[in-house]
Amino acid sequence: MISKWIGKRVVMGIIVLFIVSFLSFFIMHAAPGDPATAFYGGNAQTLNAAEKERISRVFSLDRPVIVQYGAWLWETVQGNFGYSSKEGRPVSVILFERLPNTLLLFSVTMFFIIVGSIWLGTVAGMKAGSMWDKGLSTISIASSSIPPFWLGILFISFFSVKLGILPSSGTEDVGGDGGLMDKIRHLIMPAAVIILTHVGIYARFLQESIKTESNKYYVLVARANGVAKREIQKGILRNASIPYLNYIGMTIPSFFGGAVIVESLFSWAGLGQLMVKAVMTKDFPLIMGGILSIGLLVVSSLLIIDLVMYGVDPKLRKGAYSK
Amino acid sequence: MKSRKSLAFWCVVLGLIVAMTVFAGLFSTYGPNEMDMDTIYQPPGKGHVLGTDHLGRDVFSRLLEGGKVTLTVAGVSVILSFIIGVLYGGISGYIGGAVDVIMMRFLEALITIPSLILILAFQAFMQGGMWSMALIIGVTGWLVTARIVRSEFIRLKEAEFVKMAKMFGTPMWKIIFGHLLRNSVPAIFVVTLVNFTGAVFIEVSLSFLGIGVPSAIPSWGNMLFYAQNDILIGAWWIGLFPGIMIFLTILAINFIGEVLKDPRRRRLDA
Repeated sequence: MISKWIGKRVVMGIIVLFIVSFLSFFIMHAAPGDPATAFYGGNAQTLNAAEKERISRVFSLDRPVIVQYGAWLWETVQGNFGYSSKEGRPVSVILFERLPNTLLLFSVTMFFIIVGSIWLGTVAGMKAGSMWDKGLSTISIASSSIPPFWLGILFISFFSVKLGILPSSGTEDVGGDGGLMDKIRHLIMPAAVIILTHVGIYARFLQESIKTESNKYYVLVARANGVAKREIQKGILRNASIPYLNYIGMTIPSFFGGAVIVESLFSWAGLGQLMVKAVMTKDFPLIMGGILSIGLLVVSSLLIIDLVMYGVDPKLRKGAYSK
Repeated sequence: MKSRKSLAFWCVVLGLIVAMTVFAGLFSTYGPNEMDMDTIYQPPGKGHVLGTDHLGRDVFSRLLEGGKVTLTVAGVSVILSFIIGVLYGGISGYIGGAVDVIMMRFLEALITIPSLILILAFQAFMQGGMWSMALIIGVTGWLVTARIVRSEFIRLKEAEFVKMAKMFGTPMWKIIFGHLLRNSVPAIFVVTLVNFTGAVFIEVSLSFLGIGVPSAIPSWGNMLFYAQNDILIGAWWIGLFPGIMIFLTILAINFIGEVLKDPRRRRLDA
């Protein structure tokens, strides 16, 4: 049962990645202008007509886009992402250098956001009408209205420029030992920016769904039957966690999008910063590789969330939604 | 009652910001691109209310002009995403059946792609002016609108009054616009507000990275792009004020959306 269910999700994920690659490939090829120029960016002026034609032929830029896409797909499926047109190194090597940093930033921020929002949301949701309840609504709206990179600029100007206690950019000190403490020092600000601008909105969502659950009949009946308060709260929390998990799943794509900006601001050597650099240098193979790997990250996080939901929601296990 | 007061307050805040930026020419004391190398990096004070930047340009005047650009890009893109979303969601919801299933599957796939990533792909090869920026944000921002419109249409299609109208032989376009679309307005309005804040965020973020609106045009994001370096030498005012403007604009819209989202204010609960 579960293997079939997972299988379905994986197939869906692959379809998504396929659509993503297809769309981005076409978007970039639909761009007006000479394809060789687009490939070589600023260096294109130095090429003469014969060279341009040779480049077009070698990279099969003179063929229809659909044929090019087919060729690209065939190579990519075999694990060959091509070579960065700027650096000349294999795209897969560059991506693998960047992946650990993005995973580190993502898992640390997601961990604190989930723990923080569950704590805040539960306290606020269970004590309806209290200071916590009212305060959280306002604070969460306010905190989610702050552009993360702007908060980052303020952090840099205070903690790096004024106090000089945290590094303003990079993943580790140049010439440093590359130890754990070094990494943590560099991680603090980017992580804090993402956590502070996101935790409120997730907490608020959990708070709202706890409040909705608390007003349902089963809670009233349980209370009338003298079920212990702790047990009732456990039940409420479990039921409220389903929409909460759904919400996390829904916002994961934009979460990754936001990380692109924060990574660039702090020069955090992750996939997001790589993407921005690749866009600036018009490094086509690298952009495609970056898009695909960020897509893969999104799809796999959604799969993890689905699995957790499968564990939490008995209706899902019994196939109640499959109709 | 409290919610009505807060609605009025935030509408006034938003209205002020929009008015100040639309009529930027009336309020600004200098030209937004007027350089004066004798007065670079002047802190806020006499002459320049909010100081000057690295080229001696007046921050206040650029702030107003930049707001015009940012809000125009966001506004145009939201109108575009609204049109696409209503068409897509409307067709899917109205026709239903296999068409609906296919269209929704496609939408589900698109929705898992971070739109910022697609926009980056767009920007890589067609970095143009502010209009192309608005176009790109609009083309990638209609997904949630489509989903909401579709679910509203499906819900309303089954409503008594729509069935009745059909029975009386009301023309299809009249049913779609007069009954279905008109009754979906509250839900669409809230989602459009959310889209607007999203569009502001995207314009500002991309310009901040230096791959958005061309740097010759002042926008809030472009101002922050230069502020990155200025802040390292202690010129805090260049980055602080555009950020506050973005924050206030989004805050106002979020609070307005919050009040309108409240089901007690709606005639139809969606």
